Amino acid sequence: MSDGNHKFAFFLGCIAPNRYPGVESAAIRTGKKLGIDLVPLKGASCCPAPGAFGSIDLNVWYAMAARNLVLAEQMGTDIALICNGCYKSIWEVNHKLKHNNELRDSVNEVLKEVDMEYKGTINVYHLAELYCNDDVCGLDRLRDSVNTPLTGVKVACHYGCHLLKPRKDREFVGETIGDTEHPTWFEKLVEALGAEAVEYRNKMQCCGAGGGVRGYDIAHALDITNEKLINMTDAGAEAIVDTCPFCQLQFDRGQFEIKDKFGVEWNLPVLHFCEMLGLAQGMTPVELGLDLHQTSCKSFLDKLNTRGWWSKNVPPDSDIDIVGGQ
Amino acid sequence: MAYTGKKVLETDTFEPRIGVFICHCGTNIAGSLDVVAVKEYAKTLPHVIVSENYAYMCSTPGQNMIHDDIEKYNLTGVVVAACTPRLHEPTFRTATANGGLNPFRFEMANIRDQGSWVHMHDWDGGTSKAKDAVRIAVAKATMLEDLYPMAVPVEHRALVVGAGVAGIQTSMDLTKAGIETYLIEKEPTIGGRMSQLDKTFPTLDCSQCILSPKMAEAGRMPGIKLYTLAEIESVEGYIGNFDVTIRRHARGVLTPNEAAARGIVGGGCTGCGDCAQVCPVVRPNIWEFGMSPRKAIYIQHAQVVPLIYTVDFSACVKCGLCETACGAKKAIDLDMEDELFTIKVGTVILATGYETIPIEEKKEWGYKLYDNVITSLEFERLICASGPTIGHLIRPSDGETPMSVAFVLCAGSRDNTGIGKPYCSRFCCMYSLKHAHQVIEKIPGCKAYIFYMDIRSFGKAYEEFYYRIQHEGAKFIRGRVAQIQELPNKNLNVIAEDTLLGMPVEIEVDLVVLAAAVQPTAETEVVRRLFGVSCSADKWLLEAHPKLDPCGTTTAGVYLAGVCQGPKDIPDTVAQAEGAASAASIPIHAGQVELEPYYAQCVESLCAGCGMCVGLCPYSALSLIINDTGKTVMNVTAAKCKGCGTCGGFCPGGAIKMQHFTSPQILAQIDAFFLGGEL
Amino acid sequence: MASAKAYKDAGLSARLADRYYRPAQDSDPTFVRDVEKISGTVAHICYQCGTCTGSCPSAPRSSYRIRNFMRRVNLGLKEISLTDPDLWLCTTCYTCSDRCPRDLIPTDVIMAMRNMAALRGIVPKNFLGTVNFIYQTGHGVPNSDANRAARVKLGLESEPETTGKYPEYLPAIRKILEAYGTKQLADKVLAEGQ
Repeated sequence: MSDGNHKFAFFLGCIAPNRYPGVESAAIRTGKKLGIDLVPLKGASCCPAPGAFGSIDLNVWYAMAARNLVLAEQMGTDIALICNGCYKSIWEVNHKLKHNNELRDSVNEVLKEVDMEYKGTINVYHLAELYCNDDVCGLDRLRDSVNTPLTGVKVACHYGCHLLKPRKDREFVGETIGDTEHPTWFEKLVEALGAEAVEYRNKMQCCGAGGGVRGYDIAHALDITNEKLINMTDAGAEAIVDTCPFCQLQFDRGQFEIKDKFGVEWNLPVLHFCEMLGLAQGMTPVELGLDLHQTSCKSFLDKLNTRGWWSKNVPPDSDIDIVGGQ
Repeated sequence: MAYTGKKVLETDTFEPRIGVFICHCGTNIAGSLDVVAVKEYAKTLPHVIVSENYAYMCSTPGQNMIHDDIEKYNLTGVVVAACTPRLHEPTFRTATANGGLNPFRFEMANIRDQGSWVHMHDWDGGTSKAKDAVRIAVAKATMLEDLYPMAVPVEHRALVVGAGVAGIQTSMDLTKAGIETYLIEKEPTIGGRMSQLDKTFPTLDCSQCILSPKMAEAGRMPGIKLYTLAEIESVEGYIGNFDVTIRRHARGVLTPNEAAARGIVGGGCTGCGDCAQVCPVVRPNIWEFGMSPRKAIYIQHAQVVPLIYTVDFSACVKCGLCETACGAKKAIDLDMEDELFTIKVGTVILATGYETIPIEEKKEWGYKLYDNVITSLEFERLICASGPTIGHLIRPSDGETPMSVAFVLCAGSRDNTGIGKPYCSRFCCMYSLKHAHQVIEKIPGCKAYIFYMDIRSFGKAYEEFYYRIQHEGAKFIRGRVAQIQELPNKNLNVIAEDTLLGMPVEIEVDLVVLAAAVQPTAETEVVRRLFGVSCSADKWLLEAHPKLDPCGTTTAGVYLAGVCQGPKDIPDTVAQAEGAASAASIPIHAGQVELEPYYAQCVESLCAGCGMCVGLCPYSALSLIINDTGKTVMNVTAAKCKGCGTCGGFCPGGAIKMQHFTSPQILAQIDAFFLGGEL
Repeated sequence: MASAKAYKDAGLSARLADRYYRPAQDSDPTFVRDVEKISGTVAHICYQCGTCTGSCPSAPRSSYRIRNFMRRVNLGLKEISLTDPDLWLCTTCYTCSDRCPRDLIPTDVIMAMRNMAALRGIVPKNFLGTVNFIYQTGHGVPNSDANRAARVKLGLESEPETTGKYPEYLPAIRKILEAYGTKQLADKVLAEGQ
């Protein structure tokens, strides 16, 4: 367990700041209690979206991601981020450029035109990975930061794809986080917050949104999402927790769309791990922007409330609408 | 070697006269480089008297060219530019000797394996490299000396390491050929993997029924010195004279002979089992893959050879109940210690077998995570009448009889990910067909699904067996299993693509059997290093030649039998075991072997007697002596020396001469390469 | 591939079309080479075991078969691959790539084919929409007024520290998009669609 302080350039991405600002806010605020100092990366853009950009031209994807990397290189700080899609772009392009001189040269040729040069001087981390890492934070420190444990709720962890896969390209240390078939580190993170993590069938399945499929064939994407929702609820899950705002969008807005397109209603709250961590550290639903979620988080919050969580975190005279949902 | 000794040459007094012969190897060499240009180039080299090219130098006419040219041109050295010395050095040495030269006046340039084959698409580059190789070989040939092989006697005994079916067969053959044979097995009983199998394909005869008589016979043949619970501790020596030290692990139980030696009349273990009855310590029986219990004093199964109980000292609490139960036989000695002894043998056969890979590392199939995913070897025990369930196949989670079983072939075989193995494990297809037959036969109505990539039924009557299993109703799905999901009732969803239909397929079954890939046993690597035997990249022991010397190794006097050399089924294993026995008996029956004269020699006039080389020698071949003049010098025991050059490279005084690899010879080669042959 | 016969009855001609695959005319040997170069994976050692399709979340709900695309790559069936709408159903979850026993990355083979299709202007519009959003704002999912209000409510600035707040970073982004012709491709294809 680390008790030090670590500064990172916080790569925001798009969906967190522009759709779930509570995730951005929670990451920064909860980080302060964990020695993870997140300084938003100035001038960053879209990572860019690995599905959309990678599909059109991998070279432009490399160059655009490299521009973001150079911003952090200029800051002289490693990057931390909160989105699996961003991880694929920023981590993977950093990795490729570090190991492939030919590719690096071709990218630098274009960056030169905008007075930039990729040097390969920084590393890229997902916050989830930092929470697990004893040298930065570690489970004990995470557990110690909790003042209002989320006891009594059953949560289904959605790992997502692009943080972990393809495994052969990733460089996680140790068996646990590198396992892409039956990993358990996310469950351990959730349990550190006091919640109960449930195992469900085909846990590692994709949310359905990636690769541009959400935009290309929304029904197809939602059908995958729906299968995950079936497996999660079969296992008794009362909420979904994710590490990726894009997956979160697919589950959150997706339930709305599933109801519209398929006539199937789930009402399963969807939270980013940072949001859940925020709740466990005593942030209120409003401070976390949970009311911005399209699928209401009320059932989840009510579950916590029956265990006295509510009175502690939300003042009785509060008139704030925490129901959310649209 | 038919060296006539007709011409004895002194290099000091003769101007070298070298003949160069370029082989086409059909189109193997001539198709990728300009052999005529190489021949013409050779003519320009110093001391080259004649240069020729021919389609197959290894053929009789090719060898005759060498023979004739030695006589015609009065050659002092012969260079053949062809394949590798590993293949044809003996051939050309013989031809050189037949021509009347000392055979060690032959030098080979490898322009095929290291030339045309690796530069197949670079005509000019390949030609140029071949010229270099020839120039270097000629430079050495000008400095070669007459050498004489040394004959050493061969001990009339053999050692077989590993007592599976390969080790048993090879030991029995050797013994029947009149050679006393030590058979060493690390387990408490002989029998190996085959004794764990229920039935054998394609004949379906019972594995134990055909193996047990052999085990029993091997156990009682006077010519077989059987040591179970024993491992190789160290090895010294060379072909004909291996000194092998054996560690016999403390068994805690005396055989009748051992008891007699201790003066216990009528004592020793009779295999009655009274001891195990009273033993209070229960451990999983590893031989049954932990699916049945055994005591701390135990036999692995009813057919063990020798029928002597074994104390598991890692579990024994030394309560002494067994000693009481044993009574007057006094067979149990709980203070027994490991015993080391050294044997002398002429040849050695390694038969160290295989184990399955840790298939749980292929996490998508959930072995060790899902109760009802088992391996094929576990299946063998569960379907075997002498197994933990008396032959009633059950699923581990609830003991119920499975009514649907999926067989996952290529589980970790043909796998380039680094977790599995890149090779085909070769017998999984056939035993999985057998398993399908067994579930269909034993459990009426049980469905068998075989997920396969290719069914490799290449052996005699194997394809017919495949037809038979199709007739019996097994369902064949051509697709590798992508994942297995456990359902709440512990059933398993097996998911793959039926690649012939082009449809994803999901089948809910009661039991999944993984045909896990095989790898050499952990001990193989240890034994291999002790005997200096090479292995291929996949860790299987390397045969001397894959086609023409499949039982031999590159270490003279050491041979291979069974799966340690690569996956093979029982017929192939037994065939190789008999081949290895035959090969290993040849030097023994010949009574002596010739050693290549590549040993180090001490130039006593230069030797300061510092002795630093003595400790460096990996073969303990060197010692310090006082010579006739009273000077302390190093002395080489030629038969022990392998000519590795460690001492010669180190000697501060340059007093050690490596025969056939002398410093002048090697420097001439280096000069020839860098200086283009102009010295 | 299936070529219609010159019979007078067009319907019969189509129904009885010659369906032989003849490498000499149907196979483009440059296809596998180009795909391997872009994807960086040696697609030609695929042995068609189907582990990829069996791992694919899209396979059970569509006609998309990633194994089939791997087969087409190896046979040089470029035309049918690049024009097949199924090409765009890969969610890029990389499960096939984790499990491929040949240690290939089939997902990147799909990405390579998408790149080649896009060069020809075959690319779904939603992909190009993302390009335009980024060209204009730096974000694939841009900020909105509702979100700005929400941000302020949370104590954040209405614009994040990204190109949203610092539009002076946009020219560099636009230059990159133009340098690779990505913006031009988006404009051209989107204009054709209207």
